Amino acid sequence: MMRRGRSVPEPEHHDAGLQPERTSLAWSRTTLAMIVATAMFLRWFPEYGWFTGTLVAVALCTALGIYITQQLRYRRAVSGIANERIHADAAAAAWVAGSVVVLGALGLFAVLFLALD
Amino acid sequence: MPTSSPSPRPERGKFAAKLLRGGTEPDPRFTLANERTFLAWIRTSLALVAGGIAVEAFTTDIFDPAIRTTIAVVLLVLAMAIGCGSFFRWLNIERSMRHKTPLPLPLIAPILAIGGGVVAALLLVFVLLRLT
Repeated sequence: MMRRGRSVPEPEHHDAGLQPERTSLAWSRTTLAMIVATAMFLRWFPEYGWFTGTLVAVALCTALGIYITQQLRYRRAVSGIANERIHADAAAAAWVAGSVVVLGALGLFAVLFLALD
Repeated sequence: MPTSSPSPRPERGKFAAKLLRGGTEPDPRFTLANERTFLAWIRTSLALVAGGIAVEAFTTDIFDPAIRTTIAVVLLVLAMAIGCGSFFRWLNIERSMRHKTPLPLPLIAPILAIGGGVVAALLLVFVLLRLT
């Protein structure tokens, strides 16, 4: 996984199912999917720069947030597997689901209320 | 399972403690699997957002404005329902696992199936009308 500083030891686990890696990759795929979905809105950038800007900002904040917390999340998963106990990350789930709902709502607003060609 | 460097357990956040009261922490593998399933639903929702926007933004030369807007609206509403529903599904599964009760049936699965069917039917009607 990502290594930022040499002083921090890399966490290890012995889970044959590679659960922390799979979960971390699932988060990465979600980040990519969010960026791709947002890229669709760029079609309206010439006409509605402010609107597209808001939308891209929402998606990029979430994508960046996921990226920044990836190492923390991986370490949490590794220590969870090691200790046979992990706390469910309700805040992250609510945050990502909320961002997707906001993206959908902004898309709906664009389709229904902006004069698109 | 043994490990070479176990870390101390972090405390649960207030938000998680409020939403997931009682019970005991399930097997961490189940919690992580639940998280991955939730993320798969989120990606489905994002694909629907992208699809809805793509229909509205890139098919102006193919579809009539009415059918285009209808398909885009259905896809975006479906995306919002799946996005919102995926969080509650994740929460309900986590609660069930904490209390060792049977897992709930996925309500968002039939919503997605029906929504996808509606969009496909709309497209079929449009194609048939265009042929005649």
